[in-house]
Parts: sequence; structure tokens; C-alpha cells
Amino acid sequence: MKNIVIGRYVPGNSFLYKMDPRTKIICMLLLMASAFIVDNIYHMLLGLAFVFFILLIGKISVKRVYLGLRPLMFLLIFTFTFQVLFNEQGELLFEEPLFYSPLSIFLALLIFFFWFFTKKYVPFKLLYFVLAIAGIGFVLTQLDFWFVFATGTFTVYQGGLELAFFIMIRLIILVTLSTILTITTKPTDLNLGLEHVLSPLRHVRINSEEIAMIISIALRYIPTLLDEANKIMEAQASRGVDFQEGKLKDKIMQVVSLLVPMFIISFKRSDELANAMEARSFVPGKPRTRLHILTWKTLDTLAVATASVIIVTTTLFRILL
Amino acid sequence: MAIQFERVGYQYTGIDERGYMALSDVSLKIDKTGEFITLIGETGSGKTTLAKHMNALFLPSEGRMSIFGLKLSKDTKKNKKVKLNPIRQKVGLVFQFPEYQLFEETVLKDIIFGPKNFGVKHEAAVRKAEEIIEVVGLDKSYLERSPFNLSGGEKKRVSIAGILAMEPDILVFDEPTSGLDPLGRRALLKVFYDIHERLDKTVIIITHDMDTVYEYAKRVLVMREGVLVYDGAPEQLFSRKNIENWNLETPEILKIVKGLEEKLSITLKDTPRSREKLLEALKEVA
Repeated sequence: MKNIVIGRYVPGNSFLYKMDPRTKIICMLLLMASAFIVDNIYHMLLGLAFVFFILLIGKISVKRVYLGLRPLMFLLIFTFTFQVLFNEQGELLFEEPLFYSPLSIFLALLIFFFWFFTKKYVPFKLLYFVLAIAGIGFVLTQLDFWFVFATGTFTVYQGGLELAFFIMIRLIILVTLSTILTITTKPTDLNLGLEHVLSPLRHVRINSEEIAMIISIALRYIPTLLDEANKIMEAQASRGVDFQEGKLKDKIMQVVSLLVPMFIISFKRSDELANAMEARSFVPGKPRTRLHILTWKTLDTLAVATASVIIVTTTLFRILL
Repeated sequence: MAIQFERVGYQYTGIDERGYMALSDVSLKIDKTGEFITLIGETGSGKTTLAKHMNALFLPSEGRMSIFGLKLSKDTKKNKKVKLNPIRQKVGLVFQFPEYQLFEETVLKDIIFGPKNFGVKHEAAVRKAEEIIEVVGLDKSYLERSPFNLSGGEKKRVSIAGILAMEPDILVFDEPTSGLDPLGRRALLKVFYDIHERLDKTVIIITHDMDTVYEYAKRVLVMREGVLVYDGAPEQLFSRKNIENWNLETPEILKIVKGLEEKLSITLKDTPRSREKLLEALKEVA
């Protein structure tokens, strides 16, 4: 509980760190939009290459980006599999009959459950998963005897394969871009940048300063509240609350014994904070002077120009081709 | 020996990996009965960390300790067979801020929460709560009130009652009198002393109030920067010259007695420990 890091900021000194947070947010949005406009897999690959180029010159390790992608791995594999299996556009690339018999289904389920229960002990999880899928495929295609009650065909079409790769690359680009932003920008800077980027919304009566203030206070209070939660857990452990053992019914009561003080303390804290802010003459919506003033440099102009060129080019390609 | 520390050290691990030694090389023994100990030291000296070791909320990162025969060390957490929960019934720890533990709708329910966790029957726990609420200086009408509508001092008393109701063998109080008015403070200290006298239980109090230390304690532990620098009787402690180095000050009573001796050259037979005793001693001299 103690070691939760908020945000994924990693200190560094490449040009990405020297950029204005506003620039980074705007560029990220422009590039993301471009990734949605592109409708050709080769252009998409070019986009991927560009994103990797940013990683290279920005001195960001690919391993960190991979860590950012990992939570999405399931989604990536899921969309990829569905596109490959069920999209029937373009040329037929591959065809293989499937045989459903009690034996083959039993073996396929056996492999699945074996994979499911042993996966946590295996170091290369992705490879192991692919092996399990291959094993199931092998069983279903090769065991063509013993009471086959149904047959099917396993087909892969070119269009499906292309679209599968296309969607996967698009997702990778999107996640990589947002990872670059969060890795190179401190949460406070990000928040300040967001405040400026959202400031045109004041015309529709949305105060971006208030939103930014809410976000920054929330970020600031996460470690404090974790600390409080720890103290509550200790105090209740002293009264015999045991979070490891005990029946389900007891456990519910134990969770209540944590949540109620947590709520009370959070409300108390926010009340105190509001008083402290008012005591220092904070009035929501009034103009304030700032400790950190964002400065726009040539680098920022260049970055925004590059991103604009990319989005204009992709749009032109989309319209003209 | 109920609690035994053997060269215990404790390291807080921070985000920056370096860690902070909150305790180092602490060795001490605490008896199961008959001790009235005060634990003093400046803020941040490791008093609370030491107290949390006493009911196994923290496990030592260096050295060994045993609580009621259960041996604890760095590796205890890995061994899942070791049950720490029974220790918490034997050593009751009252935290400094009652807000961290009050959660039930009524004071009664909150007080019986602890005993019920340790398998006491509902009726027996209620009977105990009715008895305990008066011990801490509140009347029975409080049992039906919500713990959140009480004043700070009343909350404190309810949280103390919640631990007393568990009937632990050893009681550890982390600054039990902070946030109480002087009268309430004296009354509560009297309660702790009565529990100690009547039931012969060991009581350990963390405090900053030197008068409490001098008046009640039979044994004083002084912490400084994570090290146990003094373990002994209060008389010897306050007769030392350099206690200011440990950020301690001489108790008021002792100052008065010294003033009487130096300015008015009145010598008392034995040094009184409280205002009442001082008055008696003065009457005798006069």
C-alpha cells in the first residue's frame, strides 16, 4: 500500500521534457486524431514508425511503453482474434477443417484449464498463451476420428488479417502516445497544461481553472488518504480485525469498519482544507497570480507545426485517395 | 516476561528506497503484571513505533522479540501458520486519535466490536460495555448515542473503552490524555492507575506530560532518535543533569521542592510526587 506511485512520471532530460505541457497535450491530441483518420495499413505502419522515432529521439525506453501496453494486452489479443476469425473480406488465405468430437473437445478443454491454472507459475506468459492456443488448434484440426458429431472450417481471409493488424497498430499508437505524455510530464505540469488547453471552454461557462484545481487537490490527497487508511487498518487490527482470515460475513463487517472512518476523515479533511483556503483569501473564479508560468519556446512551435503537418497530410490523403 | 525485545530495529521503507531507521537496537523486558511504565521522548523519537511492536502491528526488521511466548522476527510474516491476532487481545493498544477506530452507529456497538472479534458472546460483551463506560467516566446514557456526535474528549474515552472491553493483560496507551481538559486528564489517569492497582495489570503510557511521569510511573523509558536511552525509575531520571539534551524537562513538583530547598531552605523528609503529597509534607514540616 505504501509504494503506490501516482502518475507514471519518470525523470529525464530529453527534448520531450523541455516542452511546454500545453504543447504536449495539443500534439498528442493531433497525432491521435491522425491515427483515427488514417485508413490504410501502410500509412498506419508509417505512423507506428513515427511514434517509435519519437521514442528513440526522446530517449524513452521501449520497455516502459510496453509496461503501459500490458494492461491492454487482453483487449489487443481479443480484438485481433475476433477480426481474424470472423471477418470474411478479401482473398481466402488459409482453410483448415475442424472436427468436433467428444475426445477433441475434451482435450481442448483440458488444455485450456491446464493453461488457466498453471499460467501464474510460468515466466513467459504470452508465449505460454500462444502455445496453449496452438495446442487447442492442433487438437481440433487433427483428431478427425471417434464420433465426430460436427465439423466446421477454420478460415482466415486477407481482409480480416489486415483489419486485425490495422486495429492493433492503431491501439498501440494511441497507448504509446498517451504513455509518452504521462512519462515525460509531472502530474502537476500536466494539470496546469490541461487548465490552459481547456480554458476556451469558459465561453460555454465551464471554468477550466476549477476543474484543474479539483484534479490537483485529488492528486495531492491520494497519498495522504492512503496514509490515513493505513492508520485505520492498524487501529482496527488492534481491536481484532483480521483481514487475512475469518468468514465472509465477518469480512463485510471488517470492510465497514474501514470505510466509515475513511469517509468521516475525508469529509473532515476537505472541510479543513476549504477553511484553510478561505483563510488565505482563495475565491473560486477570481484571477490569481501563478508560481509557475508556462513559457512558449521555439521547440513548442516546431512540435505543434510538425503535428499539424501530419494531421493535414493524413486528412488530404483520406479525402483525395 | 510478557514482552521481550532483543536488539530490535525497525526500518520504515519509503518511496526513495533508502528507508528510515525508526528504532535501532532496542532491548527491554516488560512484566505481565504490576508494572506502570511511561514512555517519553520528543516527537519523532520512535515511541509510537515501539508501541506498535508491542502488539505485533509492526514486526522488527532487525533483532528478535517475543510477546507472551510467541517469537517474532523479520521472517514471521512469511510463516503463515503464526497467528498474530490473539496477541492483540492480550496486549491492547489505544491509538492517539479516536477518529481512526470509531465507526458504528452507537457507542455500545463500537465498544463491543473488539470483544466480539475475539469471540465473546453478544450478551457478555454488552454487560462488559455497560460496566466499562462508567469506568472511563461516562454514564450509561452514552451507550445509545452516536460516536460521531461526541466531543473530542468523549470520543477519546469511548475509544479507550473499546480497548478496555477486550480485557487485555497489558494496556498500551498512545498519548491517552492529549486533547483533554486538565480535569478530564487527571480523572483518566486515575482510571488507568486504578486498573493497574486493582487488577495488577501492566500499563504503558506514552506521554509528554512530565508531571504524569513523576506522579504515577514506577518505570520510565526514554526514547531519543530511535534509541532507548533510559530505562529505570523516574527519580534517577530527573536527578540527572542533562535531561534537557533529551528534550525533557523537570516536573513542576520537583521544581517547587527544589525552590523550597534553595530559597527557603526547607528540607522535606522524602520528595513528594504529587501536589497532595507536597501539601502533606509541608504541613509536617510546619
